[in-house]
Order: sequence, then structure tokens, then C-alpha cells
Amino acid sequence: MLWVDKYRPKTLDKVLIHDDVAQNLKKLVTEQDCPHLLFYGPPGSGKKTLIMALLRQMFGPSADKVKVENKTWKVDAGTRTIDIELTTLLSTHHVEMNPADAGFQDRYVVQEIIKEMAKNRPLDTKGKKSFKVLVLNEVDKLSREAQHSLRRTMEKYSSSCRLILCCNSSSKVTEAVRSRCLNVRISAPTENEIVRVLEFIGKKEGLQLPPGFAARIAEKANRSLRRAILLFETCRVQQYPFTHNQAIPPMDWEEYVSEIASDIMKEQSPKRLFQVRGKLYELLTNCIPPEIILKRLLYELLKKLDSELKHEVSFWAAYYEHRMCLGQKAIFHLEAFVAKFMSIYKGFLIATFG
Amino acid sequence: MGKGKRNAAIVISSSDDEDDKDFFLLKSKITSASLPRINQKKRAKRASLSNSCSSKDSIASDFGEIKRFCEEFDEGIRGFKVSTGRGMGNDLWVNKYKPGSLEELAVHKKKVEEVKVLFEERLITSEEKLCNHVLLFVGPAGVGKSATVHAIASHLGATLSEWNTPTPTIWQEHLHNSSSGLRYTSKLEEFESFVERIRKYGFISSSMSRRSQVVLLIDDLPVVNGKVAYGRLQRCLHLLVQSVCVPTVILITDYGKADSADYSMRFWEELQLSLQEAGACKVAFNPITINSLKKTLARICKEEQYETSAEQIELIAKASGGDIRHAITSLQYFCLKPKQLPSLSLSDGSSPCLSERTDEITHLYDGSSLSFGRDDTLSLFHALGKFLHNKRESETFMVSDRDAITLKEKFVRFPLKMDAPETVLRQAHGQSRPIADFLHENVLDFVSEEAIDDAWVVASYLSDADLLLTSVNGMVARNFEAENVVQSAAASVAVRGVLFGNSHPVPPRWHAIRRPKLWKVEQSLWHNKCQMLSQRCDTCNGLHLTDPSVIYTEIKPTLKWIKHRASEDFDSQETSPCHMVENIDLDGNILDDKNDMASEDEIEDW
Repeated sequence: MLWVDKYRPKTLDKVLIHDDVAQNLKKLVTEQDCPHLLFYGPPGSGKKTLIMALLRQMFGPSADKVKVENKTWKVDAGTRTIDIELTTLLSTHHVEMNPADAGFQDRYVVQEIIKEMAKNRPLDTKGKKSFKVLVLNEVDKLSREAQHSLRRTMEKYSSSCRLILCCNSSSKVTEAVRSRCLNVRISAPTENEIVRVLEFIGKKEGLQLPPGFAARIAEKANRSLRRAILLFETCRVQQYPFTHNQAIPPMDWEEYVSEIASDIMKEQSPKRLFQVRGKLYELLTNCIPPEIILKRLLYELLKKLDSELKHEVSFWAAYYEHRMCLGQKAIFHLEAFVAKFMSIYKGFLIATFG
Repeated sequence: MGKGKRNAAIVISSSDDEDDKDFFLLKSKITSASLPRINQKKRAKRASLSNSCSSKDSIASDFGEIKRFCEEFDEGIRGFKVSTGRGMGNDLWVNKYKPGSLEELAVHKKKVEEVKVLFEERLITSEEKLCNHVLLFVGPAGVGKSATVHAIASHLGATLSEWNTPTPTIWQEHLHNSSSGLRYTSKLEEFESFVERIRKYGFISSSMSRRSQVVLLIDDLPVVNGKVAYGRLQRCLHLLVQSVCVPTVILITDYGKADSADYSMRFWEELQLSLQEAGACKVAFNPITINSLKKTLARICKEEQYETSAEQIELIAKASGGDIRHAITSLQYFCLKPKQLPSLSLSDGSSPCLSERTDEITHLYDGSSLSFGRDDTLSLFHALGKFLHNKRESETFMVSDRDAITLKEKFVRFPLKMDAPETVLRQAHGQSRPIADFLHENVLDFVSEEAIDDAWVVASYLSDADLLLTSVNGMVARNFEAENVVQSAAASVAVRGVLFGNSHPVPPRWHAIRRPKLWKVEQSLWHNKCQMLSQRCDTCNGLHLTDPSVIYTEIKPTLKWIKHRASEDFDSQETSPCHMVENIDLDGNILDDKNDMASEDEIEDW
């Protein structure tokens, strides 16, 4: 088991960072008046951990007994029936799923499946907790229609069903949904907090941490706790008695992106562009989301770039990132960005060095 | 075969002396100059033929059927070659001016000579052991393959024995037959049994070919569909080529350019190859040159006493694309309404001559609306080649001075050496998404090494095209009209973007057009995603569902790393991420082949 899972706090009391939020949540639940919740924050900040702990707080240990179900839902959409396959995770009290997995059929998922589930109230109705909890991940990736129908579902079944929504950016969630939820913002942990967690894990594992080592990992992790713990573990595997200046291995795809970046800097020609395309394809084949590739690529390029060009390059990156969201084939836009960068950079080189 | 309006007349005729031959579904005739007689005879034969084949057993019961057959034949439409409108009393010129002698053939003299020599070889040495008796004539429709065979045969005094595919069985007829106990035999089966007989017995039945020599002409191969049927036909022909003892001519119409995506085209090529391997001698016929077309047309005009200017004849000749049958029919049509011809316009054959270019541009759309003229089709790859090679005039000229908008230097491009890109797209039946994908995949090869700016312009236009195509998927889901417009707009943006952006194309050289790698990438991406999603629960201990992108970017790499380190031998399947799904290639094969083929013939074209 990865440390990320192993050292995930199980209860709200044991939460190491965001303990203020945890305490508030605990108070909220014990007072029995649980509204719909919307957790949002950057990746690796602990949203999921808090949600899990919250469920446990609400339902006790039975919330941990979950089973995974890969179910095909038959949705009646007017003239035809649509089969939608979705992976869900269910316990007696809650259901968790990623409705965005259904792609462009997400609106049916939200409308029908949630409705259906909300109707089936849990059996132990004599207890106080006569509602079921639905955990929806990646709400920000839902289409607009799906979010609208989510709103209606929320209102209609609020007596029997509580929704916990989870997303990275609340700006992509419609106002209507946001105003019906209690918004809980989970900020990214600071480096000090990350260091604290790493030291805690180190102690539990009985590891000797050289001074400053945890801080270096925290710095590398870019304020993502998950990333930090994963890096920590890879370091542990790489070499145990940690040395002071041990290199922290980056993610393989990040290395690959920086390779691409140096390729681009070295030569600007259609042939090189073609080679870069091949490498981008390889990244895409391995399911690295194109937005993340572009972001990382920009980051790598900016590191090496004259500050004079940074503004323009960032502008074009933003431009093509936007188009990527609108478009369908990410490679067209990624490549256009690379080509633009090459063209800018070549012009710059010629202007400066003649 | 027999189509069109039906006459009410009932004709039942059977010529007794030829019955046995008809029974073999084999028609013999002496190719002589006197056409009308042959036609009548032929008609009679057809009737008796239908008689014999439809009612082998139960003649009495099939009267109605025979009647229907006869009605059909009575029109006198016979095959594709001779389509006489006898009943109208006005001959089609195509038949009227069927070449009777070698001199009248519009086919190139040398080609005729070559074919003649081949024929002579086979006719003279047929008794001795000549290695092969089979000639394979290949060429586009209407270039005079059959006419050459007929003319030469008559010149050498040989008898032509033709195989013609029997008339198709219509459904009612089939029902009738099967109710009366007749088994349905497909045309392929009939052809097979015919070939069998030819191989075994040669010609025994024909009464008139005793003295003269016989040439077997297989003009009309049965239409087959599906790989199995193709295989049967191929085997059957192969056997024929290997074992036939009489001079045989097989005509294959080459549809190559017409529809590229068709499986059947590939089949015909395979067939030709296999026949050649078996020893058949292939003779390729090229489209008839404009000059000889003009000569033939002028001769016909003179004989018909119509006044046509040389210009008009030239126009018809050009519009026909080397198809003489089409040209003659066009001429006849044109002579019905002599006024209709636009003064000067060309349909497709773009000439490099500058003075004509202006006219061509102004009349470009007249050209496509010409009342005759064939709409040329292009293969997708040919069109892509046009776009990618981006051939342009070497110097600019003013199209019209009055409303000329002077463009900035960097936007000016030389005029294209092709039709409007949209026209080319239409001719190639290009769908916008694949077009964009293909262009994207291949365009970088055609951009000159220095011109990264061009590469960017091209890439940005392709990105625009992608946006347009996406909007098709999303917003106007059910509005096909709008969808069409957006689709063609996207294709146009992609193509014109490529043409405009690539302002410094590399000098033409050999380029193979690749299949978009993107397709494969998408396939394996999808596959990987599914795989990872199914593994999702294992990776995060089943307690909750994790964001997929987190899995892809963080957990998976870490796991891989750790596994790789921890146990070097454990990583049987997941060592290198990049080679995990190299082997998925679901429908790539077909396309690959197509690709190769297309690039070959494209290169030839250039």
C-alpha cells in the first residue's frame, strides 16, 4: 500500500492539516443538520481525505465497508434508452462516483441515476440519519446541462439525500449549485505543513530524516501533499539512508516534458516540430491530460527563456490552452503552440545574434 | 442489363440452328461490317437465350416469364456495348460510327499495331504450344478496348466468341423460378461453369467457326461482391488463363481513379496481377488523346453534315477526358442543340498556358455546368497530394485591375496550379475530419526546413479547423444543414490554411503520405484509459475514487517507479510506459495498404 493511502487520516480528529476545517465539519455533523457540501481546492490539498473522514464521522465504521460496482445504467431518454456504464463505490450509507466519466452523456447520469438513487432510501430509516450521501467527484468537469439538472435534483430530493460535491475549481460550478451548498474551501497546504506531515510519516516509518530533506521534498512538491508523500516514498525506495543532497526523482512524464522543452530550445524547424509531435503523442498515449502537458511545457520553457519573451509566450500558451478546451483534438493545438513558440524564439535569436 | 421503358410488343423468336450454342450461354457472331443484321440476329438470339436458360425444364409453364424477357430484349438494348435505339429509327452515333476497320480506330496507331501483332502470334501459333493464349486488356471506360478487339478480329478474319453475363434475375422472377422448381444459379456460378466447359471442350458447338479461327472474348466479368466471391472469380480466371487453348481476350475496365476507397478496386488490381502471373499478357490502354478524339469527332461531323467549329470539337474532346464513347455521345447531344455551347470554357484540364488561364478562371464555374463533360473524380490521396505539394505559378499576373485590392507583401501568394480547393475536395469526396487529420500528419514534410513561421501558420489554421469541427459535434447536434456548412467550412479552412501557410514548399520530391498517427494514438489512449480506470480501485485501496488525472500523472508513475526499483523482474507488463500499447492496431491494416498504394500512384502522377 502506498503511503498516501496508509497515512491517510481516518477520522476528523486525526487530521493533521486543515484541522480547523475538520473541527468545524465535526461540529456540523454532530448537530445533525448537514447541508449539501461543496469542497473545492487545488489537487493534493486533502479534500478527499476530509470527505472520507466526514463520512466516517457521520455513519461510523460502516462507512468504510465499501464495494466497487461497475454497473450499467439504463436511462430512458425519451425515444431511446441509453446504456451508461459507470464505476460506483457504495456502502450502505453513501455512494460515490465520477459522473464526468460518462462523457457527454453526463447529464443523463446526473438526472436519472442520482434520482434513482435518491429514491431508494436507506433501509435503516428508524435511525436519525435517514438520508443517503452522494459523493460526486469532478463536478467542475460536468457540462452545463448536467449542472443544471444537478440543481433540480438537489432541490427535489434534499429530504432524502445529501450531496457532497468535490472539485478543483469552484469557478466552473454554476452559481445555482454553489449557492445551494455549503462551500468549503480547502487551500493547498503550505510547505511547513507538508514538512510536518512528512516528518510525522518518517517517524511512523522509523526513518532518519536529514535536516532540510523534508523541506526540499516539500519545495519540489509544489504545495501538493499527495505529491510530497509520493515523492517521499520514491526517495525512500531509491536510497534509504537518506543523504543530505539526494536527488529527488521527478515523475517520468515531467522529465519527458523537460526533454521536449530542451529539444524545442535547441532547434526550431519543421523537422524538429515533427519530432516533438511524436513525443507529445507518446505523452498523450499515456493518458497525461493535454492541459497538464501544456502547463508543464510552458513552465519548462519559461525557466529557460529570456524574460523579454515570457509575456508573449505565456499569452500564446493561454490562447492555445483555451482552444484546446474548446476543440477536440488536443494535439492540433499543442502543436500550434510549439510551432508558435519556435517561430517566436527563432525570431528572437535572429534579432539578438543576427 | 436490359433496362429502360418497355414496349408492349411480345416477341418470341428462337433460332433453331443456334440453340445448342445458346444453351452454353455463349454467343458467337461474325464481326462484320453490317451492323443491322447482326443486331437483329442478336436480338433474336437473346430471346432464345432467355428462353433456353429460364425454362430448361418446364418450357410450358414459363410463358409469362419469357414474355417479359422478350419485352425487355425487344428494346434492343444489348449489353453495354451496343445500345441501339432501333425503335426510334435514329441510330446512336456511338454505334453508327463503330470502327469497322483498323484505320477508323481512335486508339493510338502503335497500340493497335502492338495488339495486332499479339493477336497474330496467338492465332497463327495456336496449334503449337504457345505458353499463353490470354491477353488482358486493361484501361478506363471508353478508351476503345472492345472496339480494338472487334476491329482487329475482323481484320484478321477471326471469329469472336463472346461471353456476356446473362441478364440479372429479378426478384419476382426468382420467386417464380423457385416455385416452379428451378434452382437459382448465380451469375458467378454460371460463369464458372462456362469457364469449366471452355477449358474442357473448347469450342465444339459453333457451326460457323469451323473454318476461321476463334477468339474468345470475355468482356463482361460477372459482378461479384465480397471476398469469397472475389476469390472464386479469381481462381476461376486463373484456371482459365492457365489451361485455355484458344486465343482469349479478357477486358477489365479500370475504375482506378473513380472510387479509391472501394475494396473492389484493390481486387481488380490483385486480379490483374494474378492473371499476369498465370501467364496472361497485359495490354494497358490509355485514355484517348485529344488529337485523335478531335479527328474522330470531326470525321463524324463531316459524315453527319453538321457544322461545328474546331473550337467546339476541341472543347468536347477535352471535356470527355479521353473517353471516346462519351465524346461521341456528347457530340450527338450537342448537335441536337448547337446553340448551347458556351464560347470558350474548359472543364477540368487546366492548361499551364498563361493566356488561357484568365479565361479559365473567369469561366471556371461555367465549366462545371457544361451540359456535357464528365465530372472527374479524384482519389483522396491525389487530392491530398495536390494540397500538400502546393504547386503554384512561378510568376503572378493581374486577374483584373479594376477592383484589385493590393495585399501586403506577406499575404501575397502566387496563383494555384489547380482548381479551387473546394472543387478538388468535392471531387475527392473528402470528409473534413479525415482531411484535416491527414493534412496535419503530413504537412510538416512539405514545409521547407527553414520556414518555422510557415509551420506555425499552418498549425494555427489546422487548430481553427479543429475548432470548427468540434462545434459540429457539440452545438448543432441535430441540424444537418448547419452541420454540412460547418463541415465544409472546416475542410476549406484546413486546406486553404495549408495552401496559404506553406509559402515555401519544399521542391517536389518523393513523399509517401502517411496515415495519421493520431488515430492510433487516440485508440491506444482510449484503451489505456479504460485499463487504468479499471485498475483505479486497486491503486487507491478501494476506499474512494480518485480523480483519473491524478492517477495518470502522479500515482501511476510513482507506482511504476517503485515497482521498477523494488523488483526488477516483477515488471513484466509495465516497465516502460511508452511501449505498453504499441500493438493495438485494430483497423489499421486496410488503411495502410490503401495508403501505400495511393502514395505510389500519386507519385507517378507528379
